[in-house]
Amino acid sequence: MKLIFEKTIKGRDGYSLPQDLYSDIRIEECLPEYALSKDKKLLCEVSEVDVVRHFTKLSKLNYGLDDGFYPLGSCTMKYNPKINEKLASLNRFTQAHPLASEETVQGCLEIIFNLNELLCKITGMDKYTMAPAAGAHGELTGILIMRKYLVDRGDIRHKMLIPDSAHGTNPASAAMGGFQVVEVKSNEKGTVDLEELEKLMDTDTVGLMLTNPNTVGLYDEGIEEIERIVHSKGGLLYYDGANLNASMGIIRPGDAGFDVVHLNLHKTFSTPHGGGGPGAGVIGVKKALIPYLPTPNVAFNLDQKKYYLSDSGEKSIGMVRAFWANFSVLVKTYAWILSMGPNGLYDVSETSIINANYILTKLKKYYKPAYDRFCGHECTLTGREYKKYGVKTLDIAKRIMDYGMHPPTIYFPHFEPYAEETIMVEPTESESKETLDRFIDIMRKISDEAKTNPDLLTTAPHITPIRRTNDALAVKRAILTYDDELKLKDELNYKNENIEF
Amino acid sequence: MRYIPATKEQKKEMLKEIGVSSFEDLIENIPKNLRLKDKLNIPEAISEQGLEDKIFHIAKKNADFYSMKSLLGAGSYYHYIPEAVKFLMQREEFWTCYTPYQPELSQGTLQSIFEFQSYISRLTKMEVIIPSIYDAASATAEAALMSLRLTHKNKIIISNLLHPYYQETVKTYLAPHETEIIDLPNKKGLVDMEKLSSLIGEDVAAIIIQSPNFFGSIENLAEISGLVHSKNLLLINVVTESMSLGILKAPGEIGVDIVVGNAQSFGMDVNYGGPYNAYLGTRKEYIRQIPGRIVGETVDVEGKRVFVMTLRAREQDIRREKATSNICTNHNLNVLASNIYLSLMGTEGLYQISLLNIKSAHYFESLLLKSGQFEKVFDCPFYNEFLLKSKKDISKINKKLLENNFIPPLKIYEFYQEEYLKNVLLFAVTETLSRDDLIKAAKILSE
Repeated sequence: MKLIFEKTIKGRDGYSLPQDLYSDIRIEECLPEYALSKDKKLLCEVSEVDVVRHFTKLSKLNYGLDDGFYPLGSCTMKYNPKINEKLASLNRFTQAHPLASEETVQGCLEIIFNLNELLCKITGMDKYTMAPAAGAHGELTGILIMRKYLVDRGDIRHKMLIPDSAHGTNPASAAMGGFQVVEVKSNEKGTVDLEELEKLMDTDTVGLMLTNPNTVGLYDEGIEEIERIVHSKGGLLYYDGANLNASMGIIRPGDAGFDVVHLNLHKTFSTPHGGGGPGAGVIGVKKALIPYLPTPNVAFNLDQKKYYLSDSGEKSIGMVRAFWANFSVLVKTYAWILSMGPNGLYDVSETSIINANYILTKLKKYYKPAYDRFCGHECTLTGREYKKYGVKTLDIAKRIMDYGMHPPTIYFPHFEPYAEETIMVEPTESESKETLDRFIDIMRKISDEAKTNPDLLTTAPHITPIRRTNDALAVKRAILTYDDELKLKDELNYKNENIEF
Repeated sequence: MRYIPATKEQKKEMLKEIGVSSFEDLIENIPKNLRLKDKLNIPEAISEQGLEDKIFHIAKKNADFYSMKSLLGAGSYYHYIPEAVKFLMQREEFWTCYTPYQPELSQGTLQSIFEFQSYISRLTKMEVIIPSIYDAASATAEAALMSLRLTHKNKIIISNLLHPYYQETVKTYLAPHETEIIDLPNKKGLVDMEKLSSLIGEDVAAIIIQSPNFFGSIENLAEISGLVHSKNLLLINVVTESMSLGILKAPGEIGVDIVVGNAQSFGMDVNYGGPYNAYLGTRKEYIRQIPGRIVGETVDVEGKRVFVMTLRAREQDIRREKATSNICTNHNLNVLASNIYLSLMGTEGLYQISLLNIKSAHYFESLLLKSGQFEKVFDCPFYNEFLLKSKKDISKINKKLLENNFIPPLKIYEFYQEEYLKNVLLFAVTETLSRDDLIKAAKILSE
């Protein structure tokens, strides 16, 4: 489809300006010549109608959760309630300036304060910071908190333990936090190898980052032993909350001994993913770590009955962003928790676990699971069996698109010998049995097709807006802007080469 | 529960198919002694109607900002957002989809990001644009880390007129690394060039300069660039008010190596501080060290032009601890808002709005100076923010402004505790204030 730049018609416009453009003031009197651009910056020239049609057309090239099943493992693509969008976009919230005086933003502060308390109760932690903008941002924040806490006690440590099944953000965040990453292998059950953990955990290790249930979708039943091993060496236990959807109302990370917890509000707590964000990756800590939280935090003054932004004090790791939080994401989260209540949250976890195990049961004959045991809220299948037909997991995923669904997460997690050619399915609580059954049917059909007509898969998808992409060419050409394209076209034309665009 | 379609009967049926007698059998791996004995101690569920009442009630505790006019900026700006921006971005296909890992089902998101990269490249004249990092403070920290990787040096000079929160954020990010941050003082509202010259040494990786700076002044970047590049270090330019790019000289034209921009002014509400979005622009030669996601153009098997996430070998899901950054979820929906905003404004619209911001701000400054109640603190060129010292008590005049439906300007002393900044206000004037609004505000301020 055409780029907006290619729809430009000279002299057309899509803007509306205030009437008074101050013709009595001359720009040359305001600014020196060196500050001003010589030419107008070239954007585009299109009308509002063109813009609306352009983006409407673009939207139709996307597949969203409201279109149908979106079972990305580890991403928790659940329904985003519409009322929450309305509440987050109330003018009194959206027009509140972050530096406006406290008496004018009591509503915002109350939401942040109340949500903090609710999240503590749901996860068994003592206090949260709302600052981090995303899961990985929360991880870095949590790691910096752990680091500062230990350094303050004169305890300088250099290593961080991370299971091989962890999200890539875990090791990347640990490295940004200045730690050397040490990988802990999974055992044959898909969980942390306790003997190896015992060996690796020493007094030079700050702690362990654990996702539970882990990214294969399995609860680590050794959690008590893990907690003992890490704490006995003076380390801290970090909970990656990407998979909290399997635990609400059943078990709280705080009760299981975790010292630092991050939650992805855009996963478990229903706020939309927006094509990759914004989300929020809030961090909860136990009491001893509270002084290290980023600054500021929201507090309540009992005498004046007022909420205020409170400096976290000298021990704080400092600020991790400008201003306080991805506020509108917090409003949606708060609204969702109030709508669900304690029974609703339990229902979320119960249903998501039943849904995932139902899929596992129905598909395990066709796609050998990485581990043959019950799963949490997501199940890890594999496409290994189809290699002999020349079909990769990627092909299976692409074929799912032809049946009108979004494929699950593929090739993650990946660690040998168990988790190869993985297909990780996370149905969430939002999907009905009818949808699951349809997915199961599709997957069985594809299994047949793989054996009888593998070309159908290796050339899939067929009916999507575009077909398979040439990713190597993207790297080779590195066309990263429209001007890059124009430049390359010029060059190729000059060389008279026939390469497609 | 309206968000959970499974009925009790269906759950039973599924458990039967799974081959267990109860849900309990599925979670037997969770140690019993760690489990909750009772249900979560949070309020019982409320209805949608009850929820709306409750949140309305809380929202009412905020001021009625929508009917107010603002003189406050400092990193978060009120600009008019055409309705089409919000209307279009709320289409569920944009709103409810995931990161575009499957390009066949995500061309809408991917093309939108590519268009945004193209716009920002033209506005900043930088070759490569990383479209989305959470906000400009964290993006500045990413730029600092990037400069350390590029130069293998360990000192960074930071102008003390970089937004104080950005300065704090950079310090937080750099704390675990053996890096020294050198504070660069200002002289009369601009970077102290003599001091800068003396601070630049062989071991300095980069210098971070905001322009227009936190006091609103436009720095002479070309001059700074000359000095910086003669000493072989990187110049990082932070732009908190991207609207200024509509008319000011592009950073790429004056030798900037890395640009970090707060995109909030392009289609985002002030939203009590977030979510906003930041872009990071740089030269193609530094492409291996850029943080975050970027979209590129290629073809599909039918030869059609398509867009994909590219140069991914730097990213955390592939490189793990060797990645250039840990960033995963970013602010792609805000990228879309900016793309729609810039498309509507177009070449002429963005130029005019940018011009209008300058003129409105200068008009207002002249009104206040004419009143005799204010005096200049510095004589620097500015975009839409400026400092003025009041002869009256600024707490009192701010209170009066608030009573008259104006969001008062920032008391700069709260950020910079220097004697000469006592009773000084940082005004931000955008196109959202009409000439009448400005006359009214000036009257209140000088009465």
